[in-house]
Amino acid sequence: MFLRHLRNIRLHGFSRRWASSSSDPLSIRNEKLQSYLESLRQEYYALRVNAAGNSKSYARLSQLEGVVNALEQRRVLERNLTSQKDLEQEKDEDMRQLMEEENQVYTDLLAKQEQTMLQELLTLADDEVYPSLLFGVNSGAGGQEAMLFAQELYEMYTSYFEHMDWDYEEFARETTDIGGLRHANILINDQDAYNWLRYEAGVHRVQRVPATEKSGRIHTSTASITVIPKPADVQVHTAEKDLRIETKRASGAGGQHVNTTDSAVRIVHLPTGLAVEAQSERSQLKNREVALKRLQARLVQQQLESSEATHLATKKAQQGSLNRNEKIRTYNFVQDRITDHRIQNGTLHNLNGFLQGGEQLSGLIEKLQLEQRKARLVEMLEAWQPPKEDVANSQKS
Amino acid sequence: MFKFTTRTLRLALKRNYTTSASGNLPVTNALKGWREKLKDAGVEDTDFNLKCIVSHVLKKKFNTVPDDFAQLEFNSSQLSDFERFLEARCARMPLQHIIGEWDFMDITLKTAPTVFIPRPETEEFVRLVIENYKNDKQVNMLEVGCGSGAMSLSILHRLPFVDAIAIERSKAATALAWENAKLLGLQERFKVYNHTMEEDKYMPDELKDKKYDLIISNPPYVKTEEFQFLHPEVVVYENLNALDGGSDGLRVARLVFELACRYLRSGGKLWLELGNEHPPLVKTIMNLKYQGRLKFVDSYYDQYKRERFVQIEKV
Repeated sequence: MFLRHLRNIRLHGFSRRWASSSSDPLSIRNEKLQSYLESLRQEYYALRVNAAGNSKSYARLSQLEGVVNALEQRRVLERNLTSQKDLEQEKDEDMRQLMEEENQVYTDLLAKQEQTMLQELLTLADDEVYPSLLFGVNSGAGGQEAMLFAQELYEMYTSYFEHMDWDYEEFARETTDIGGLRHANILINDQDAYNWLRYEAGVHRVQRVPATEKSGRIHTSTASITVIPKPADVQVHTAEKDLRIETKRASGAGGQHVNTTDSAVRIVHLPTGLAVEAQSERSQLKNREVALKRLQARLVQQQLESSEATHLATKKAQQGSLNRNEKIRTYNFVQDRITDHRIQNGTLHNLNGFLQGGEQLSGLIEKLQLEQRKARLVEMLEAWQPPKEDVANSQKS
Repeated sequence: MFKFTTRTLRLALKRNYTTSASGNLPVTNALKGWREKLKDAGVEDTDFNLKCIVSHVLKKKFNTVPDDFAQLEFNSSQLSDFERFLEARCARMPLQHIIGEWDFMDITLKTAPTVFIPRPETEEFVRLVIENYKNDKQVNMLEVGCGSGAMSLSILHRLPFVDAIAIERSKAATALAWENAKLLGLQERFKVYNHTMEEDKYMPDELKDKKYDLIISNPPYVKTEEFQFLHPEVVVYENLNALDGGSDGLRVARLVFELACRYLRSGGKLWLELGNEHPPLVKTIMNLKYQGRLKFVDSYYDQYKRERFVQIEKV
């Protein structure tokens, strides 16, 4: 028992020497990170004792669980390391070699465990959860060419939504006769979506010789992406009595007497006067479902764009993740490259592959997500002060 | 490739069409004039008809084809299919027969000439039935006269705890319903018998002792005197046996009442889709003739605000 205690103290000194050698705030050697982790651990166990019946506490518990588990596992591994001093004191050569080999294995395991822990810690940086969001594609400067580009972005993102297996509903879309897109709004119902798509909001720029250009000059045009998260408390209710559902058939006998298809459906929301139509399906009932979903999405949009929601959007913009005017990415067709201006080494090639909205886009978003999470974690750590009294209190109780 | 291109080009030139660089014809050009032709032939909802046929010719899903047909093209064989189908539509062949399939609720059904095509109102009827049974655990259902299988199969598709048996007098429809069941992977829970319901023999022998929790039917209910007012699509192309309801439109429904007395378990329900004036009539019939056997529960409106559906309970 005494020996074990002694070894712990030695190890502590050992890791402190390690720590002083690193200035990376997200390295496990960083003392501040270590004490932050320790405070998370304390919080976790205090919550476990006191959480009974409190849903907020349970939410925090499940949030912390991953980090604390990883931390505990790391400590177990750490204990298995034999210290340098013990190694030197060992007289038996074979024995010492064995110890060194063993140490090597544990060091490797430790490195892996630290990676896992960092991953877990990074997810803590995602403090906001939204059940759904409004995703908008808008053509910007550059006339027809900008609209063609907006259409390409629209296709890229809808393929990406399919790729991510998210439930989404397009409810407004205006196209041009040469296959361009003025704007489109999509409601995405998936609580992971916001944490992926928030980094896509901003101005996307295209550089190429447009299909509409006769003299072969390279143009620069833009399209913008907006991401408005929908808080869980923004709800719309569409009671049946508030709806007037219209189909094309006007009069005359129905049923077996005629064989008309009349699949198009129009729904009027009486309290707001909002009207939506759907004829994208062959089945009338399906169209009614589609129209109802669209109506709900419209009502959500109206609500979000009301004063309260504007306040929210401004708050987001200040945090930098939703700046509508920031130029975030360039699609250069002449050089077959995509450059994201927010990260280092943000240039990728194979534009056509990228526009498929599959692995390549997903990979870039992952990279952005990691960078932003790291930045936010560093910010969090800088702002964080060890809550000395709190810790003492929770230990007492 | 070259040969193919010149042939298409010549074909297009002959018809005064403008082809694109690939030698194919933009769909928007191929459409010229057809809207008017369809209207002259008395076809309503022309844009929808055109879009259905275009997506069928291009073998694309209906909901993936843009309304303005931007960027879509026909090659020469597609173009000739397209024109053949539109001629047929102008001759008032039902759209659903031309494209060989139709969507009903969440499922897509194959259609066949002579087999009755489900109507949009029937979707509303099925929706009502599903609403009433969605929280049950086990339902044995019988459908009388299933046609293409639309009602039974869409209910089976939505409610996994339902088992369905259907009887159908037409051999072609029996085969089609079974084919649709297999296409939808519902054959484990669906059986269809080719059987004509008659006064002394309502059900086939192998089913004579089985009872059901639920019977559904969309029996023929068009009155004989109304036959003169039917649309050409219906008179010329549909099997009139699936429509003819006798002088008051309830000839077949009356047989279904008798069948329900014998084959519903006590407390079981009969749901019927009928014509405009029928529900009050059915209520009277229940009160006069079926006291102590069947009870009229309620009637319901279709999406066009016509009172058309009834629910009856076995006492």
